[in-house]
Amino acid sequence: MRTDAQLLAAAQTDAHAFRELYERYAERIHGFQLGRTRDQDAALDLTAETFAQAWLSRARFEDLADGSAAPWLYAIARHVLVSSVRRNQLERTACERLGVLAELDRPQVVSEPSETWLEGLKEALLELRPHERDAVRLRVIDELSYAEVGHAAGTTPGTARVRVHRGLAALRQRLLNPKEAMR
Amino acid sequence: MNTVARELHTLGNALELAARRDLARASRSAARRRKIVAVAVGLAIAVPGLAYAATALIGAEEVAAGLPGGTRMLQGTEPKCTVVHQDVEYHCVLSRLPAEPEVADLKGTVEPTVDRTRHVNGGCRSLTSDGRAWQCYIGRAAVDQKIVSADFLGEFMPTPGVG
Repeated sequence: MRTDAQLLAAAQTDAHAFRELYERYAERIHGFQLGRTRDQDAALDLTAETFAQAWLSRARFEDLADGSAAPWLYAIARHVLVSSVRRNQLERTACERLGVLAELDRPQVVSEPSETWLEGLKEALLELRPHERDAVRLRVIDELSYAEVGHAAGTTPGTARVRVHRGLAALRQRLLNPKEAMR
Repeated sequence: MNTVARELHTLGNALELAARRDLARASRSAARRRKIVAVAVGLAIAVPGLAYAATALIGAEEVAAGLPGGTRMLQGTEPKCTVVHQDVEYHCVLSRLPAEPEVADLKGTVEPTVDRTRHVNGGCRSLTSDGRAWQCYIGRAAVDQKIVSADFLGEFMPTPGVG
């Protein structure tokens, strides 16, 4: 079986490889978005946008997790969620660019993003170790480059990258399996 | 199959279709550019008087704009480029150094360039540690220089890349 990283490499020229990656993660990403929004329609739209953004940025994927694309996909999912709340409308930029919504042939969702969508996310962030929390916040929410994150934390871009990766992995664990993460 | 599973399956179909369309679009766009460059180079060789027309296709200004267009770190650096080999190789010098370089030593770092429509059209390699001087290659030459992969050439880059 091909790893996620291999699928993403193949997806540079093969849409079916990307579909395979989608099949692996669609339910989990949808579960994440549904857990945040408690809104079926919004969760589906945010899932669509997450994967549309993943498709458009697949060339820049870097394998930092032993072949797994999970940290990368969850980072995109969080970014889509935070961006929707910040703009007070569902993020649809990549879907519109690719024409995904037209393919779905369904009425446009009118869900209004709410600050409550980020509530658990904020708490889970607070439970991270301070240097990982700061790195995740700067990279995912403030959209800084690794160099900028490193500069802000007084460390190197490489260390910043490691902190973000570890922070996201811990965050994912806390959001998906909160009880397990508390042990 | 429950409703959510059905909806996710439909979404998967829509995404795959959109992805196929995007690949076809990128492929057509890359082929068109290759054709234009080949015709332009052919004309320039065959008819010296038309050389100016060929130079207008990928001007040094476009390469200069394509460098920060492809890389966020280089935004605001105002590169100035000169032609080394028309439509193939350019030498670029930044008017301002990158404010936030992503690595301490930029020498040998490679970055993509984009054309006016924000599609990857080549790439540059830093000649200096401070990132002031770059050697840029357009099209296939950038692949031969191992700056960008053949697959990446022609890709749409809506925003300058990071990292």
